[in-house]
Amino acid sequence: MSQQIVTPLTQALAEGKLSREELKELMQRSDAISLRRLGVWVLVLIATTTIVVLAWNSWLIWPAMFIHGIVLVHHFSLQHECVHYTVFRTRWLNDLVGQICGYIIMLPHRFFRYEHCDHHTYTQIHGDDPELIPAPKTYGEYLLYLSAIPYWRNKFVEIFRHARGQLNDVERKFIPKEEYASVYRDARLMLSVYALLFVGMAVTGWWGLIWLWIIPVIMGEPVMRFIRMTEHVGRPTVAQMHENTRTNIVSMPWRFLCWNMNYHAEHHYVASVPYHTLPKLHEKLKDHIHVEKYGYVGAHVDIIRHIRSQKTAAEGV
Amino acid sequence: MAREKIWKDILPVEKLEEKWVTRVDFGARKLAVYDTPSGIYTSMALCNHGGVDLCDGYFDGHVIECPLHQGAFDVRDGRPVGAPATRPMMTFQTRVHEGMVQIKA
Repeated sequence: MSQQIVTPLTQALAEGKLSREELKELMQRSDAISLRRLGVWVLVLIATTTIVVLAWNSWLIWPAMFIHGIVLVHHFSLQHECVHYTVFRTRWLNDLVGQICGYIIMLPHRFFRYEHCDHHTYTQIHGDDPELIPAPKTYGEYLLYLSAIPYWRNKFVEIFRHARGQLNDVERKFIPKEEYASVYRDARLMLSVYALLFVGMAVTGWWGLIWLWIIPVIMGEPVMRFIRMTEHVGRPTVAQMHENTRTNIVSMPWRFLCWNMNYHAEHHYVASVPYHTLPKLHEKLKDHIHVEKYGYVGAHVDIIRHIRSQKTAAEGV
Repeated sequence: MAREKIWKDILPVEKLEEKWVTRVDFGARKLAVYDTPSGIYTSMALCNHGGVDLCDGYFDGHVIECPLHQGAFDVRDGRPVGAPATRPMMTFQTRVHEGMVQIKA
């Protein structure tokens, strides 16, 4: 018989922060709501792609690619929602859209799903949370993380390792044995599709995807690193959800891009709640979680304050 | 010789949460009772992947989803239908008799 694990949700229900009826209502999913939102998402993508095309023969292509890249890297947020099966009521639609997002940002969907499960089980616990971003100790470490260079290095090493049919010790902890072969197959398939696209570009002589996809993603990824840091970095590395996660109050365009994942502490409390009801959950839980009212910038001020205090302590001042 | 299983009352049918999952403490066991379009089904309440109470999860039609990892099971036969659930969950033969939900146990 399984031993019962007490989750933040169990606690929230037991402590009356949330009633069962409210939970039931907040968890409801909808294909219609998400298909409409996905339609707007595609329109935004078309708009930013058009901006790049219009700027093709001028220096303006660089800021245009940066803006387009910010949208492209936010496919991570949509994929993350799909990993939780909270975008669409129809489960296979989550798998399909999640896979497409994964191809855009080089993150195989199945692998991410398993990795993310352990992130939710062991949030902010050193050695157990596979997505833990270590708090930078120096400004150099902070800037290096934001450059996304370590991120891409890890992602390339990871996908080639899987394509070779290997998993490291950490990955073997969160991927069940019966899924090893599928993880290897996913990595090989993804690399094959990328290779095919490059061959296609070489054969046709049209290298547009480099400018419309690859360079924008590389330029946009530091923005995603900037956002990802705000979720947990600088918060205590403890199991208590009301302490280890930060909710950031951000403006509507950012909420749209990140599929409301700025309500991160609420998401960790109840991962079954879809993005479109997270603001309502925020109203229920806002007095019980850590809320950064100055948003992403406020979170980074907090992170930099931590670096400064560590530096001061190290210098013995 | 294995003890013969008999029908046992677990809760009055009017206490079932309509089209949802209801938690029932049955002796030392925690059960999840599902009101589905094709009838009432019962399983163990704790997810066999992470040990979390499935009764706090999202329920739709015949699929119960774990609230922690969104692994999913078909409540009719317990088979896993979504990762990270890989093993079938334990289910019980269930019926409604004289206003009571009963399981064979």
